[in-house]
Amino acid sequence: AGSQDIFDAIVMADERFHGEGYREGYEEGSSLGVMEGRQHGTLHGAKIGSEIGCYQGFAFAWKCLLHSCTTEKDSRKMKVLESLIGMIQKFPYDDPTYDKLHEDLDKIRGKFKQFCSLLNVQPDFKISAEGSGLSF
Amino acid sequence: MKDSLVLLGRVPAHPDSRCWFLAWNPAGTLLASCGGDRRIRIWGTEGDSWICKSVLSEGHQRTVRKVAWSPCGNYLASASFDATTCIWKKNQDDFECVTTLEGHENEVKSVAWAPSGNLLATCSRDKSVWVWEVDEEDEYECVSVLNSHTQDVKHVVWHPSQELLASASYDDTVKLYREEEDDWVCCATLEGHESTVWSLAFDPSGQRLASCSDDRTVRIWRQYLPGNEQGVACSGSDPSWKCICTLSGFHSRTIYDIAWCQLTGALATACGDDAIRVFQEDPNSDPQQPTFSLTAHLHQAHSQDVNCVAWNPKEPGLLASCSDDGEVAFWKYQRPEGL
Repeated sequence: AGSQDIFDAIVMADERFHGEGYREGYEEGSSLGVMEGRQHGTLHGAKIGSEIGCYQGFAFAWKCLLHSCTTEKDSRKMKVLESLIGMIQKFPYDDPTYDKLHEDLDKIRGKFKQFCSLLNVQPDFKISAEGSGLSF
Repeated sequence: MKDSLVLLGRVPAHPDSRCWFLAWNPAGTLLASCGGDRRIRIWGTEGDSWICKSVLSEGHQRTVRKVAWSPCGNYLASASFDATTCIWKKNQDDFECVTTLEGHENEVKSVAWAPSGNLLATCSRDKSVWVWEVDEEDEYECVSVLNSHTQDVKHVVWHPSQELLASASYDDTVKLYREEEDDWVCCATLEGHESTVWSLAFDPSGQRLASCSDDRTVRIWRQYLPGNEQGVACSGSDPSWKCICTLSGFHSRTIYDIAWCQLTGALATACGDDAIRVFQEDPNSDPQQPTFSLTAHLHQAHSQDVNCVAWNPKEPGLLASCSDDGEVAFWKYQRPEGL
């Protein structure tokens, strides 16, 4: 029976090494994936963060500028501004898995554009670099 | 079916260019056309013929894609590929550009006035839909920027009596919007088309919406209010929209435009196969599952793609169409007997 075990070990070696290799590879791949994912997340998160940061700085600066204005038109601008600031403050910066992250970001972008339109100003920072294509 | 669509006249509205869109004024006396030549032309009748009453040439730097009359008939809005929307004020036969609306990042594809005349909607290749409010001094203020679509927005249209806005997009969907607490929100997404949705038209009651698409079909959507007898599920207090009819197999190319006659209920389509078709709902068809019949089919209505069809709002059966061939044609539609 002892000699049978030796043969078994040889026959099964292929399967055993395959299993070990898979496990080692899986572990290494996982750690590489975590690093890559982390890098990607950092980059992407930083982009969103800097975009919203721009809006926030813009919004706070205008809040100061509009502070002493009291016409009816100014109060409408102020209302939109407060709404923009509210959206920026409510944005879940700590939860990248929040399922409405992009939906909320699009709403902030829309509110920002509306506010710029009301002020009749064009911000000098570029929000998204989109390639132009054919259009009908 | 042979004589159900008769040609009344044809004019070279935008020579050596494309004619993109047409709009009748509310009185039905004037037709505005716009084109790739960056011009808008106003057409009226003199005797039996259609003549050009005015040319609006200053205003846009690029193609004028769509035009819309205000419900009072005193203003004309034009949407252009130069990223702006112009508001023209009518004074006799003259038109003066009184406001230019800026804000879209690129090509403005469509413009529409709400039935009250106090709101205007525009949409663009920048994927957004903008709602503007008009005050007594003709000043326009943006009340919302809606980023619900994921692609180019092709068309916007208002409900005939309510402040409900619909938009059609290259993302294959139709979206509906309503006002909520000082802002506008997307309240419904109509999914079903398999390619770009090019145009939309409400029926006279506003209960149904027709959409036409690059997938060569027309879809009819019906509004179901919460607690409806048919048991169509609604989320919260918003009505739900369900596709109750699909017209497929009639068109051989992209359907660029659809018009639902507010007087007769006839449904006309403009197609990339150079043809104009008219459909009518079958009498006694089930309102929950209506059927429509093709009542007119004009194969070579134009020598190139038909871009737009527009029913006259006052004269039943008077239809205008325009094409890539630069021409505008006028047609008389007669419902065939026995239908």
